[in-house]
Order: sequence, then structure tokens, then C-alpha cells
Amino acid sequence: MSSVLEEQAPLAVPAKKGKKKGSHNFSGSDRVTLGAFVGVPTILHVLFVWVPAICTILLSFTFWDGIGGLKNIKWVGFTNYRQIFQLDDNLPIAIRNNILWLAVFALIATPLGILLAYYIDKNLKGTQLYQTSFYLPLVISLAVTGIIWDNVFRTDGALNAIFGDTNPDTAISWIGDPHKNIWVVLFIASWRHIGYIMLLYLAGMKSVDPSLREASAIDGATEWYTFRRVIMPSLRPVNVIIVVVTIIESLRAFDLVFIINRGTNGLQTLGVLVYQNIQGESTRIGWGSAYATLLFLICLGPIMVYLYQNFSKGND
Amino acid sequence: MKEIITENEVSRRSVLKGAAAGAAALTVGGVGASTLGASAASAATVNVSFGSNNSNGPGPEQDAAWTAAAKAEGINVALNVVDHNNFQNNINSYLQGTPDNVFDWFSGYRMQFFAEKGLLTPIDDLWKKIGSNYTAGFTGASTGLDGKKYLVPTDWYPWAIHYRKSVWKKAGVNPASIKTIADLINACKVFKSKGLVPIAQADKGGWEAQGVFDIINMRTNGFKFHMDLTAGRASWTDPRVQKVFAAWKSLLPYSSAHPLDLGDQDAGKLVIQKKAAMIIMGSFTSGLYSKADYPDLALIPFPIIAAANGTDSIDAPIDGVLASTTAASNLPASEALMEFIGSTKFSGIIQAISPGLFANKNSSVPSDPFIQSQVKLVNSTKHVAQFFDRDSRPDFAGPIFGPALQKFLTGGDSKAIASNLKAQWDALPPA
Repeated sequence: MSSVLEEQAPLAVPAKKGKKKGSHNFSGSDRVTLGAFVGVPTILHVLFVWVPAICTILLSFTFWDGIGGLKNIKWVGFTNYRQIFQLDDNLPIAIRNNILWLAVFALIATPLGILLAYYIDKNLKGTQLYQTSFYLPLVISLAVTGIIWDNVFRTDGALNAIFGDTNPDTAISWIGDPHKNIWVVLFIASWRHIGYIMLLYLAGMKSVDPSLREASAIDGATEWYTFRRVIMPSLRPVNVIIVVVTIIESLRAFDLVFIINRGTNGLQTLGVLVYQNIQGESTRIGWGSAYATLLFLICLGPIMVYLYQNFSKGND
Repeated sequence: MKEIITENEVSRRSVLKGAAAGAAALTVGGVGASTLGASAASAATVNVSFGSNNSNGPGPEQDAAWTAAAKAEGINVALNVVDHNNFQNNINSYLQGTPDNVFDWFSGYRMQFFAEKGLLTPIDDLWKKIGSNYTAGFTGASTGLDGKKYLVPTDWYPWAIHYRKSVWKKAGVNPASIKTIADLINACKVFKSKGLVPIAQADKGGWEAQGVFDIINMRTNGFKFHMDLTAGRASWTDPRVQKVFAAWKSLLPYSSAHPLDLGDQDAGKLVIQKKAAMIIMGSFTSGLYSKADYPDLALIPFPIIAAANGTDSIDAPIDGVLASTTAASNLPASEALMEFIGSTKFSGIIQAISPGLFANKNSSVPSDPFIQSQVKLVNSTKHVAQFFDRDSRPDFAGPIFGPALQKFLTGGDSKAIASNLKAQWDALPPA
């Protein structure tokens, strides 16, 4: 990650300052090419990311039913924010779920994925088989994932069959119980996430120079010490990706809960509330945008802190 | 707002009365079909796109059959089938994007709302041709607030208590003896003692229990209060709302213990599998029955709660097809398709696959006892509502009222729920 930045820097500078320093390096056509390479993505990025994001923030201060022209938009100040915090009992559940999601991913699923990668990297017997089976959940589309696990966790599903009671009234309610269902969903999400992290980390570990490990072993370091002090630090770019992936995956959580019960009854997430109010049959754009802005702010925090820490260290 | 609902109240009542009368006078189909055949055959082949929400049960088979028949009459239909719930959830963006020329939808608040917003193409010319096929009531239910016609109504169904005759017979419960809610509770006790779930209750999707709320409210507080409440003219903190929850609570010990694990089809299947004794559901639940089980299916009206109201009201939503904005540039073809869908030929094809009740008064009414009992039920009813999510604002029914009932069914405090509902209604942006 840091190497990407270093590569970009010398390109960006001459492209801007042009004549003074780099003029002999860049011909006119070079400059046009570079301008296109930098300019086109920038324009697209601003157009398709920043403009909608800013529009969303603006819309969160309005009433709009999403139909008809801009003249139907009514400015209402902070009304939507006041309402979602005071009235909507979905919001505290959604925030709790997003935080739980992040906690479970960060403390359980991601470390497990790294652990698996570490062991698989040791070229155990049948390592191909392990790799494939741990990665398999990611190959299956989320819709299918939802259906598979629904069949496991239904009251008359596979799990209750193992427990010996599939009577719809007395069997254990996994998905319908608002105190239990979030843990079921986190289990399913982790089942998927572990394989993802494993693959990312495995790819990183393959690039670690084996002589580093040998040297550390010769110096008498324990496995844990080697991992912590030698392997981990040499994988900094991969670590950044993994942290960012973990945060983003948990904060944008939507698809799985939506497939299971449309994200109601204890399975609300901020993503679901955005969808419900903007894309659903009821278009309450103002509320939906307020949720989206909230999600945006929450996402921004940890990612900015982490990226700042890492890149500032990396550039030293 | 007020006028609209009252107007609908009258029209819906006459709609269904008219349909029932048509059933009694039953001229077995064919009349409409032959005239349509003639008019369509004379025209050249036309192409038209159709958005179908008929994704469940016998839907795909029905779609395949009627599109083939339409093709034979020179109407090439590009069929776009979307999952029923997704179709409903995406309707706003669907209609503002490039929707199919003609699409499945309902009568009621939502149709009028889309018409007001200019998202539909009026079909008054078509109605001049087909108007005589419908009673005044269906005509009213197809009309927007601007007086123009938008809907070609196809079919409708009542909500009621559905059960299997053999199960009740085996348990020794006589359906005709269920007159009041006390009778119902007594019957539930019998079913429970036989190891059955007395009432299969679904609410995984958040809409299924709304039908139960509707009927208990209409029985407890009468039709007018129900309409006032759904339209926001009555307050959710009105003590009458608590009476609804109280009556419902008396049934909960006999309802599915885990309703939020069950979708409407899951709960319907419990009745088919003889694990549950009854379900309060729309008659579309019959679509889940096999040919062998279907004759065993029967219904009774939800019993009396307050004597003054008797059993004078039910939910009986009307489905139909609308023309989107894209139909304007393909109007002859779109109207030809809508005319076909309104014809008795269409209803005949659908009925051959799964019996139902059709709006076209020349449609045949199947002679089977289950359909006849639906007709009888509506015939004995004074007021007809559509359904909570068709009678109320969608930004209230979907994201607010649905979860509130889920909370109630998982032991939530009904007073706190009602006061939150009131606060939420008051906070809605003006429609």
C-alpha cells in the first residue's frame, strides 16, 4: 500500500509543476496521456462518489418522497436527525448490530482467518483441500448463502432436527428470536469472512522471504515471536488491507440480514435502514439520507485513523 | 383524504356485491373472449412488455399459459417476472426508471398516489370498450382521484380463517359453532389438547400479522374506526387501539409460539401438513394446496368480538394491472394487452390452473365449494377494506407499523408500541 503511494508521488508532481523540473522527461503526448490517466479517474470519482455523497448529506436535511423534480424537496433542517434519534427504535438496534459485527469480525473472525492462513502456509498435507474448503463460502453468492443457512436455522430446519425437535412451537427459534438471531447471523457472516481473510493473508505470507523465517529460527525465536516480530511487520501492506476490509465489511452489513428477514426484528443494520427508507416502497428520502450520513461518519472515523497512522509511519 | 376513503368504502362494498351477484347469475365465460378474439385477430402482431409480480405458487405456470394465449392472438408479451416482495419494495424506482408497459399492481391508496404523481398512463379509451364488463364498484376502484381510469382489475380474494375440514372433524370441532371470539378460544383449547398449534401465525415478513390486526380492529371497533386509523384520522393512542391488542392477546396463547420464524407460506404449510388447525390469511393460501388436498380446504369468517359490529367487515384486496408511463408511446399494444388481461379468456386460463375470483362480471365462477364460500363470505359482508398496507401510507405501513407488530408478537408492551406509533405517525412528512 505504502509502495503504491511512493510510486504515485513522483508522477503527480511533474504532472502539476510541469515545466520547471520534469519538462524534459515528459513530451506533450506524455502529458496528455498522464493528464488523461489522472484526470479521467478524478472526474469520474468526483462525479460518482463525491457528488452523490454530498447530495445525500444535503438530502438528509429535507423532506422528499423521491418522486418528481427537485421543486418537491422541502428544507427541514435537523428534523430528520432529531426524529431518527428520538422516535426510531430501529436505530439503537442497528447501531448495536453494526458495532457487534465489527467486534466479532475484529476479535474472532479476522484472527481466525489469519491463524488458518498461518497454518496452511506451512504446507500441511492436503493444504490445497483446506484452502479450497475455507474459501468455498466466498464463491457462493450471498443469496444462496442465506438460503442454505435458512434451511439450517429454520424452526423445522437441520439444526433443530439434530436437537430432535422440529415442532414449530417448541423447537428452538433461531431466526425469529430477536435476542438470538444476531448471533446466528454473525456466525454465518464469520463463516464467510474467515475464508476471505485467510486468502488475503495467505497471499501476503507467500511473499515473505523464507530466509527471514529461517534466520529467526536459527536465532532461537519461538514460533509466536517470529510471527509477531518478523512476519507481521513484513506484511504491513496486507495488514492495512485486512483492517480496512474488516471494518468496511462489518459496517456495510446488509445483504445477509436482508435475505434472512429483510433486516427486521433484531437484525436491523444501518444499511438496512438506509435501504428501507430510500429504496423500499416507502420513499422517505430524508430519513434514509440521515441514516446514510450517520453510516458515512461512522465509517470515516476508524478508517481515517488507521490509514493516517499507517501511512505516516510508512513514510518515515 | 377523508372523501377518498369514504368514497372507496362505498365503492368497494358495491364492487364485491356486484361480483357476487355475477357469480350467482353465472353465465359461464366465453362471451367476452369471443368479442376480444375478433378485435385482436384483426390487428397485426404487437409487442408489449409486462412486469409480473406473480412469482409464487402457481404464478409461473399461469404466466406461461396466458402469455402463450396472448401470443396466439397477436400480442407478443415480453414477460419480466420479479419476486413478489421485491417487486413491491422496488415499485417507486421501477416506475421512475423504464418500467414495463403494463404491470401488476393493486387498487387502493397506492394506485391513486402513483396516478397523482404522473407515474401512470390513464386508459379511459380502453375503459369505454371494457367498462360494461365491470360493476360500478370495480369501476370506482379503478378510478384515480382525477376521475380518470387507471386500473384493469383482474382478481380479488377475501381474508378469513382458513382450515382443513378433515382436521376440524377429527378434533370434533364444528366450524358452524364458531360465532364469537369466546367460541374460537374454546375451539383453540380443543385443538391444543389434541397436540395441534391452534392458529398458525406468520410474521417473518412483517406484513402477515397486519391482516390479523385489521380483522380484530374491524370486529372490535368497527369499520369506520379502522379506516380512520389507517388514514391517520384517528389516533394510535386512542383507548380503542388498546382494546384491539387486548383481544389479540387473548388469542396469542393459541397462536404459533415463534411467528417471526414463519413466512406466510411456512405458516400455510403447517395447516396443510395438519400441524396447525387454522390460519388467518388471504384465500391465496389455497395456491399452496395440492389437487388432492384442495377439496379439504374451507374458510369461516373471523368471529364476532363486539356484538354491534357483528361480522360486517373484511379485508378483500383487489389486484389488477396498470399502464406505466412507457405505455404512452406503445399505447395500442398496451391497451390490447390490458384488454386481454381483463377478458374472460384470461380468467378462464388462470382458473384452469388455480381457481379464484375475477372482477370481470362475465368470468365464470368455479363451482367448487371453497370458491363459493369466498363469494358467500363477501356477500354477507357490509364493508370491505383493502389491507393495512394498501389502506395506509406506505412509509408508515412498511417500515413503522410492520416492525411494531413484530414487537407486539415478541412480547412488547402494547401501550409503549401504540404511543410510539402515534409519535411516528405525527412525524411523517406531509404526503
